[in-house]
Amino acid sequence: MVNEGEGGPSGGHGGYGGDNNDSDTDGTQSLAFRVMRLCRPTFHVETPLRFDLSDLIVGEDDDDPQSQFRRLLQSQSSTTTDLTYTNRFLLHDDHPSDAMGLPGMLVLPQSFGAIYLGETFCSYISINNSSSFEVRDIVIKAEIQTERQRILLLDTTKTPVETIRAGGRYDFIVEHDVKELGAHTLVCTAQYSDGDAERKYLPQYFKFTVSNPLSVRTKVRVVKETTYLEACLENNTKSNLYMDQVDFEPASNWSAVLLRADSHHSEKSVSASREIFKPPILIKSGGGIHNYLYQLKPLLDESAPMKFEGSNVLGKLQITWRTNLGEPGRLQTQQITGNLITQKEIELKATKVPSVIILEKPFTVCLSLTNLTESKLGPFEVLLSLSDSQEEKSLIGVGLKKMALPQVEAFRSLNFQMNLIPMEAGMQKISGITVFNTTEKKSYDPLPDIEVGLHMFLSCYCWSSNWSNQKHY
Amino acid sequence: MTHRFSISPIHARIPFSPSPPHRQNLAGDLHTHRPRLPLLRSQSPALYNSHFSKDHRMTDNIDNADSVKTYNDLCYDLSSLQDLASRGAWRSILDKVAQARSRSLLSKPHEHLVYLSFNAIALTKLRRFSEAVAELDLVEKGLDIYRYETYPHHYPNRHGSMAPFVLRWLHAELPSRLGKRQETLDRFYILLQFIKEKLTNNLPDSSREVWKKREGLVINSIISHHLSHKEFGVCLDLINELINRESAPVPRAILMSKLGYIQMQFGDLEGARGTFGVIERIVREQKGDTEMMNLVNRNKALMFMVEKDYASAVREYQECIDRDGSDVVAINNKALCLMYMRDLSDSIKVMENALERIPTIALNETFVVNLCSMYELAYVNHSDIKKTLSSWIARVAPDDFDTSCTRI
Repeated sequence: MVNEGEGGPSGGHGGYGGDNNDSDTDGTQSLAFRVMRLCRPTFHVETPLRFDLSDLIVGEDDDDPQSQFRRLLQSQSSTTTDLTYTNRFLLHDDHPSDAMGLPGMLVLPQSFGAIYLGETFCSYISINNSSSFEVRDIVIKAEIQTERQRILLLDTTKTPVETIRAGGRYDFIVEHDVKELGAHTLVCTAQYSDGDAERKYLPQYFKFTVSNPLSVRTKVRVVKETTYLEACLENNTKSNLYMDQVDFEPASNWSAVLLRADSHHSEKSVSASREIFKPPILIKSGGGIHNYLYQLKPLLDESAPMKFEGSNVLGKLQITWRTNLGEPGRLQTQQITGNLITQKEIELKATKVPSVIILEKPFTVCLSLTNLTESKLGPFEVLLSLSDSQEEKSLIGVGLKKMALPQVEAFRSLNFQMNLIPMEAGMQKISGITVFNTTEKKSYDPLPDIEVGLHMFLSCYCWSSNWSNQKHY
Repeated sequence: MTHRFSISPIHARIPFSPSPPHRQNLAGDLHTHRPRLPLLRSQSPALYNSHFSKDHRMTDNIDNADSVKTYNDLCYDLSSLQDLASRGAWRSILDKVAQARSRSLLSKPHEHLVYLSFNAIALTKLRRFSEAVAELDLVEKGLDIYRYETYPHHYPNRHGSMAPFVLRWLHAELPSRLGKRQETLDRFYILLQFIKEKLTNNLPDSSREVWKKREGLVINSIISHHLSHKEFGVCLDLINELINRESAPVPRAILMSKLGYIQMQFGDLEGARGTFGVIERIVREQKGDTEMMNLVNRNKALMFMVEKDYASAVREYQECIDRDGSDVVAINNKALCLMYMRDLSDSIKVMENALERIPTIALNETFVVNLCSMYELAYVNHSDIKKTLSSWIARVAPDDFDTSCTRI
């Protein structure tokens, strides 16, 4: 950008010569490489010092000098024969927006700038013959060298350039999608026969560094059956990034939906051309962030009602951003994983709870234990633990503290009953039920609480276990 | 009661007077034979000089007695000041103002203010910002005293502020030129408020129109400041407001094009495409003239450019240039497209040709920055050719031309 009054751009020239490795060259070179990075141009922006005649030569409260001065102005500015710099001084009546200083003129990139992973490196390469003699049979090569590899961009070995006259040039444009971080070198070499028919070799090196444009941080949360993926994109570049596309591609066992906030009523533009003013997603340079929220649901396969065990691959993000004049960059993240899901082996449910439960009178809860695995599990011990809470329990059992259950076959359920006595009125939870596998000597994760509604309570009794329909008091 | 500045029919017509010494010197500079830039296709020097021959003096811009009298009726020797300003002779303006002050040539208060305005503008144009700020000290102190009713013996029965609005605008703009960007933004927003309050008063229609124009000017200035700092969100909101206010089709189309440029600048290509589409419909319905048709072609060219279809972009720009040979935006952008098509030689030719053919229109800092970038790429020893360009600029350019754009 040329900012009027601040002096021209400092440093960074458009075209530049690189380093020469002189070990292979002797004497002077007839040829030289000139290189300029060809990222897209930008629009020139300035605040012009141009004024309306009526703002300049009459008092601000004087009215209608317009018609007079319109005549004056028209006599002054006829487009082709006006050979003055009036356009640098006056604003035209018909073009009030000239004061915005955005004439639509494009400016070439004024410095190499920064280059980021996912962008395309594009460069104009000009090989100049600054000698007074013709050079012949020029073999030109251009390569990108990184830590890991050498990528050939151009090679005229098979069809060498026949000749470059004195003072002449041979130009080419190369492009390379940047896929590695760190130091890169554009290596330009030319072999040619100079004016004395001597075969010369010219290598030139142009170095640049590739940085990471974005940081992506993810958080996975599971709420009941739904998994939520929150992705935070942080812009580490020096320009604002227009997020053209941010797509989450789920793994094959998931489906994903992007959740968008409802737009605030003030954002809804009342303009006729509403579609133009959709607010863009623009992440500010140097650390700006934008968050995306995806709702993921597992795609359940009918034949296998099982959940996967082990690490949970959710999918990856595909990101396309754009900078000035739509200069694109594309990246995708690594696979994003969710929380480890341990496979549930058993499930405990209340199948029947009496509709009326009287305070301090025992009631029977029917429960079922389901074996979710492929093999027999058990035998079990079911405990209503009293030791967890220090508060007074609202439901108690007295008597047998544990109940023995036999083995349960694969995918089968076992029904049993518990007798409980309520000590408090209202909605209560049956909690603290632990199931212990006596064979494997392990207890299962605390099972979900079962809620029961209790009408009234009376006094306390003994608890009994009667799954075998035998009552023990 | 309002006063109109009209030419009284009672006075006899005064024949156009010969140019005062100042103007002749300036015209003299521009008559110098311009050394031709190397690598240009040969153009007859005579063709170039004929623009500046004694028969077609640039001084003849203010070429009818009516305008001269109108200006001078308003303010002492204003037609001279105008002429100098139109030719970018800002140093001469500084001399003229200094002279008028030291010789007490100005008799009325408002004349001092007009001369002060020109002085402040000249200093700003010449990038002498601190001096410009000093000149505007009275704005800082308050313009309320500069009203016609304060000087009834000079201005019987006149009311209102005699201060030109430009003083307020400059007062807001200058801090940014001294690095105090936030101060400028604050002042512009305050100025906007001042104008809006003025518009709530019961103004006559003509006055209302003028203040509404000033409101637009200030919003445009604010947008340009936000744009240069890439604050695109607020730019979109403000330009939305301007578009909604603008009913005349031509200014509306031009304004919407700028919205398109802004969208392109931050990368919203689909948004820009939509915007340009709306403009095309407006121009088609209006059966637009050359200017509007060129606007549409240039917008189309931009869309081709972002798709990297440079050949089609060049074709669109050529249509513009064929229609209007002084469409500098088309010429500049066409040259850039040629370069992106690997045709550096032709891009340089297009630029040099324009400078030779239409120097006063093509000669601007952006144009020169682009040409110098091309020179730096094309030549190992580019300092020679840039020096030649530089000397040509020195002879032709206005005083306020920022020569640092050549990067010599």
